[in-house]
Amino acid sequence: MPEPIVIESLSKYYNKFLAVDNLSLSVTENSNVGLLGPNGAGKSTTLKILCGLIRASSGTVYVDGISVAEKPEQALSRIGAIIETPEFYTYLTPEETLSYLGRLRGMNGDELRQRIKEVIRLVRLEEWSTVRIEKFSRGMKQRLGLAQALLHDPPVLILDEPALGLDPRGVVEFRELIEEAGREKTVFFASHQLVEVAQICQEVAIIDRGHLLAYDKITNLEEKYQSLESAYLQLTGEIH
Amino acid sequence: MSEFEKLRVVTGYEFLKHIRRRRLYIILGLTILVEAAVLIAVPLLLEEGYPDNVMVMAAMLSIGPSLATIGAVFFAGDAIAGEFESKTGFILFTNPVRRITLVTGKYLAGLAAVAMLIVLGYIIVSISLLVIYGTVPVETAKSFGLCLLYGGSVLSITFFFSSISKGSMGATVITLVFIMVISSVIDGILIMADAPHWFMISTNGDSIATVYGGYELFLEGLPMGGTHMPDRWFQSPDINLMIVSMVIYLVAGFALSLWIGRRRQLS
Repeated sequence: MPEPIVIESLSKYYNKFLAVDNLSLSVTENSNVGLLGPNGAGKSTTLKILCGLIRASSGTVYVDGISVAEKPEQALSRIGAIIETPEFYTYLTPEETLSYLGRLRGMNGDELRQRIKEVIRLVRLEEWSTVRIEKFSRGMKQRLGLAQALLHDPPVLILDEPALGLDPRGVVEFRELIEEAGREKTVFFASHQLVEVAQICQEVAIIDRGHLLAYDKITNLEEKYQSLESAYLQLTGEIH
Repeated sequence: MSEFEKLRVVTGYEFLKHIRRRRLYIILGLTILVEAAVLIAVPLLLEEGYPDNVMVMAAMLSIGPSLATIGAVFFAGDAIAGEFESKTGFILFTNPVRRITLVTGKYLAGLAAVAMLIVLGYIIVSISLLVIYGTVPVETAKSFGLCLLYGGSVLSITFFFSSISKGSMGATVITLVFIMVISSVIDGILIMADAPHWFMISTNGDSIATVYGGYELFLEGLPMGGTHMPDRWFQSPDINLMIVSMVIYLVAGFALSLWIGRRRQLS
């Protein structure tokens, strides 16, 4: 079985700015890996390349052994993703949105209806399931974002700051939902919230200015640097 | 699941978008309003009632469906640019569906919405002519076909501008300026220079009315108070050439929007 996520010598330039610099790492099956780094470290760029939203300048990314650049549709069928704050068509309701996205993924009929109910219940949007999204708050859109990421029960979840902008209660609830989902899935999770990452993930990759600074189990980093926070501060401070 | 099935799904949901948007009903209302204005104003201005020649009245009533084609600009301005501007692409593009399928589905849905307005416009034209003259000239069918083709061309041009624009509003404004200002100005210069102008999109739009008998028809059918302008200014280009021109706009605009839309990155 190939590893669910493999990143090989990945580089990305935005004009002359190097956002990701020769990054290589792989994520093993059913592990929850946090991608940590300060703003502008290259976290979102890496995840966007994994999701086929942008092209790499060089290097390759694989999902379940499938090259995202060469076979994007096959690779994306194995991914559930939340990139940035999710935005939806405001003229649709959550049920209609999930039906649209589910049908694009080949789901239909009773299977799709049943699954939509399940994920709407999971993210606690039952009362809003038939209300148009134009009336939704940011937190509700985040929940719907998670629902669409889980809809097709993908083996790999790619999450980019999924709790960004949520109130404290929302952050806790969201974390619980991802923890729950992460028990049976591979989760690759970008954030700069150390507490959030420490509660969800067993391993972290710390990057800054596109460089991979460390990729290890949280327990190992805590042993070496006393805490995850110290590891983060020391590692990201060194190159400034 | 085949790409064709995905195309059906995308087209269906995009058409639902048009149905739920206020702009469809605003353009529909404007189309009905313009047709009503023509039907009321023409007998009042001519004093002797409607023109004797049914072709003149049919040509004047074609302004309603022509207006409906401009609706294409408002339906398609945000088709591609909107996915990037409002960031809905972060959800849509992470699904296993080709960009070509998404853009084509959006195009077909826009075309269906424009066609719906055009059909309604021609129903009004046909009923009006039938009530006033007791007949509907066969040229009405030709005008309908040209109107659909023009609507498709306008949609393709809008898709092209939507694929290169950062925002939906920008794409909409650029398209309107291109068709109604830039193209019209160049068109006017070419006419005055006695040069061919059949390839201008603004001239192509005139074919919807000139199919009933050219600009000359208006001079004969309406009391214009005499004119000293050269005859060539009132000679409409060959309809067949204008059809070729519209097909080129339609195919080129759509193909370019597919190519750019497929390559555009959501960073």
